[in-house]
Amino acid sequence: MILALTLIFAAFAVAQTPYVPQRTPEGFPDLEGVWQPQQNGAMFSVLPHKPGFLLGAGSKTGIVEGGVLPYQPWAAELVKYRLDHMEMDPTGHCHYEGIPHAMYFPFQIFQTADEIAVVHENMHAYRIIHMKGKHPPDYLEWMGDSRGHWEGNTLVVDVANNNDKSTFDMAGHFHSDALHVVERFTPIDRDNIAYDVLLEDRKVFTRPVKMHFSFKRAPASFQIMEAGCFEGERDQVHFTDTVKLSEHYDHELNSDHNTGKKDTKAGASGK
Amino acid sequence: MSDRRMATFLAVAGMAFCAVAAAQAQAPYKAPRTLDGKPDLQGIWMTRNAASFDVSEVAEGRQIPYLADALAREEKGDRVDPIAHCSMPGVPRITYMPFPIQILQRPGYVVFLYEYQHDHRIVQTNSRPHLEDIDFYLGDSVGHWEGDTLVIDVTNLSDKTWLDSARHTHSDQLHVIERYTRTGPDTIAYEATIEDPKTYSRPWKIAMPLHRITEPGFEMREQECIEGDSGRAIHMPYRPAPKD
Repeated sequence: MILALTLIFAAFAVAQTPYVPQRTPEGFPDLEGVWQPQQNGAMFSVLPHKPGFLLGAGSKTGIVEGGVLPYQPWAAELVKYRLDHMEMDPTGHCHYEGIPHAMYFPFQIFQTADEIAVVHENMHAYRIIHMKGKHPPDYLEWMGDSRGHWEGNTLVVDVANNNDKSTFDMAGHFHSDALHVVERFTPIDRDNIAYDVLLEDRKVFTRPVKMHFSFKRAPASFQIMEAGCFEGERDQVHFTDTVKLSEHYDHELNSDHNTGKKDTKAGASGK
Repeated sequence: MSDRRMATFLAVAGMAFCAVAAAQAQAPYKAPRTLDGKPDLQGIWMTRNAASFDVSEVAEGRQIPYLADALAREEKGDRVDPIAHCSMPGVPRITYMPFPIQILQRPGYVVFLYEYQHDHRIVQTNSRPHLEDIDFYLGDSVGHWEGDTLVIDVTNLSDKTWLDSARHTHSDQLHVIERYTRTGPDTIAYEATIEDPKTYSRPWKIAMPLHRITEPGFEMREQECIEGDSGRAIHMPYRPAPKD
């Protein structure tokens, strides 16, 4: 019995020994590298969802603690409406995803003493986490305004000044401009960072929400490349004018609005 | 010492002083160093010119050495500046867009964060080979240090970008060599050599200073181009279309 207890305590002690990350030359915990989010299909839905939902692989857990987003009744109705109106999804228009949405996609971290840059491939987005200064007044941004500080080896980032246009995923889960996000980046070993998020939005939620997932270090050969989402700008009509999607399809694929040339292919197809 | 000799002495001393001052002014500026000993280019910078509207303003001799058939190709090409569709402006144009640029340096990296359209370039300073069979709006940038100058070789550029709003174009053979040299506490000399055998008869150069934004507490802000997509209406080309 005593042996068993001792073993349990020993195991507990080992589990509790915090990983001590390397330091940057400036003496801060080193989060630099290319990171791949282990995001449980959150880009499709932050909640549990079936395989095939929006062509995703599905997820039994999602990333939201408890598997529920506590929307106020009117907001829950709007979530349903938005799911049936995919043209409202800002990522379909190549907009910034916002925080935490952008964190579902790979990124590279560059760290100086005063600023931590998180540079994404997706949407060619980046965010500068300022380690000093305050949130500016009256200034809303897609990615919000990020102010960070260190609590031991954990980077804590307070994200305010969020606009009401970015979303949590493609499943209609939205927020208001009252969104306030607190992110915690905790290195758990050399190749993994635990990512814990606290979301507050008194205009749409009935209580704060927690999200959890992690980032895994990418192989050394990986590099962040350029993603030019808005190339050609020809997808937009599929979102903004879905009712007439079929009418627009050939025309948009084959014409060149830059030159104003006549659309010969569409003409040939009998339009 | 007579008054006259005194005057001569003062004149000579004055000239000597001027000569020393001139020599000091001409001594190359020694940039502060990063922790890994490289010239420190970090900070928030911006150009102050109209090159984004007409790059010939900053071209050596104010001339762009077009090949005749490239000019003909350009005349038949698109009429609307590609940035009106919120595509990235390409290199070197991203440098002289009238928006702030933040430079960060880490060992082995120089990172350019552009406020314009939240574009970014992650430049490794390891002289690695260029990527193969892939084009980017902002190209594939590979850097190295030549003394105190950061040299970036940019290839893999697409033919979808223009050098300015004045419809100065290039082909997908564009090759840009950029040089960044600190010339003072608040200035970087920027120079780019532009080669494109399908468009220009010879390599040509542009040069301009980048100025540090010294406003206390200045920070980069978010710039989202496609919001409302109303850019197209205000981005008309100002070189007239050829008559049929």
